[in-house]
Amino acid sequence: MKPRIRPIEKFAAAVAQCSKESANYGKCIAADYNNVSKDKCVNEFMKLQQCYTNAYKKR
Amino acid sequence: MYRSSLRHLARSLQLPHRNVIGLRFYAVQTPGAPIVEVFNNATKWAQKERAAQNVELSRQVDYLRDEVASRLSERLLDIKRDFDHVLDLGANACHVARMLTKTNPDDYSAQPVAEPLASRIGRITAAENSRSLLYRDADLDFNNKMEITRDVLKSPETLPYDAGTFDAVLSSLSLHWINDLPSVLAQINSVLKQDAPFIGVMFGGDSLYELRTSLQLAEQDRRGGVSTHTSPLADVRDIGGLLQSAGFKLLTVDVDDIVIDYPDIFALMQDLQAMGESNAVLGREGSGIRRDVLAAASSIYKELHGNEDGSVPATFRLIYMIGWKEGKGQQKPLPRGSGMVSIKDVLEGKTEGPKPDDK
Repeated sequence: MKPRIRPIEKFAAAVAQCSKESANYGKCIAADYNNVSKDKCVNEFMKLQQCYTNAYKKR
Repeated sequence: MYRSSLRHLARSLQLPHRNVIGLRFYAVQTPGAPIVEVFNNATKWAQKERAAQNVELSRQVDYLRDEVASRLSERLLDIKRDFDHVLDLGANACHVARMLTKTNPDDYSAQPVAEPLASRIGRITAAENSRSLLYRDADLDFNNKMEITRDVLKSPETLPYDAGTFDAVLSSLSLHWINDLPSVLAQINSVLKQDAPFIGVMFGGDSLYELRTSLQLAEQDRRGGVSTHTSPLADVRDIGGLLQSAGFKLLTVDVDDIVIDYPDIFALMQDLQAMGESNAVLGREGSGIRRDVLAAASSIYKELHGNEDGSVPATFRLIYMIGWKEGKGQQKPLPRGSGMVSIKDVLEGKTEGPKPDDK
């Protein structure tokens, strides 16, 4: 029997594969982190989400 | 008439008839001091129990508690005294006892190896409210090297000991989950013998500020609001006042930062969970952090705080406190205005400070 992988570990591995998108999103927030409002970086986040969702499905 | 109106009330409330006959209204006295409640003790207990069930994983994340426990027990070296009976309050997995039985200093140090501190301690009572965590290492070797009594506490905030029982009280990394810190410190003061020390360490101030800020920014962007994911912690400047109001004398408070690098935010949070140090603030989100917020926080953590090699640092700020219970023959501060030398002149080099022998 394979050891059970916690879903969160699988999720973490998926996010780790999206370093480019992740860095872009992080830079967008960090550029002006004193003024963050809802959906400030929604475009960057959507790209990141797209990427980690795909990576999550593949595994 | 009265009874029939009550019956009417019962029908409208859909209560059975007989309950209403026994209905009583009591006057309730408002409590004097406000009851402070920040943390959910039941949740914290469950988290510790759960963490201790996985013994292997739980031991893997002992690095922080072991390090802090060893730094705490080092402070006992400064006190030239033997302790007959010591209390370790909030013992977790008896990390303090394990550190006390180690030879001192480390085996690989150039200094001559001294006897372990345990040789100066008669017996230690380890008190903790999570049974599984307390007994996790009960069959390891260090248990044979000193007399350890394990006490499972019903509540982490009530000490079931008589006044004047202990020659010293130690506490390592558990006071930061106490709701009513003034009360617990006062209880510690009460169970100490006269002129006996309390030496404690807790997380405080800016601990995990990287995690706190990343989660806040991520939630602000993703959800448009912030909720509590990290505990409010006591600050260094609060501790002095707390110890003083609990009746301790000759206070010493100092701060120590430990920065640990993790591969990413997930590794940090998994380790915190395995330590049983997950969020237990009252009114936290029951469902945990949402996935999109987690992914966002992971990116922000790396970008704002990350190291060049891609790892992320996590800062643990430790506040050490030493207080002595009042006793006969104890050193006391001199009365106000009794100083004969101006500190200003000494610092500016105009006068030499008093020599140690001319009193």
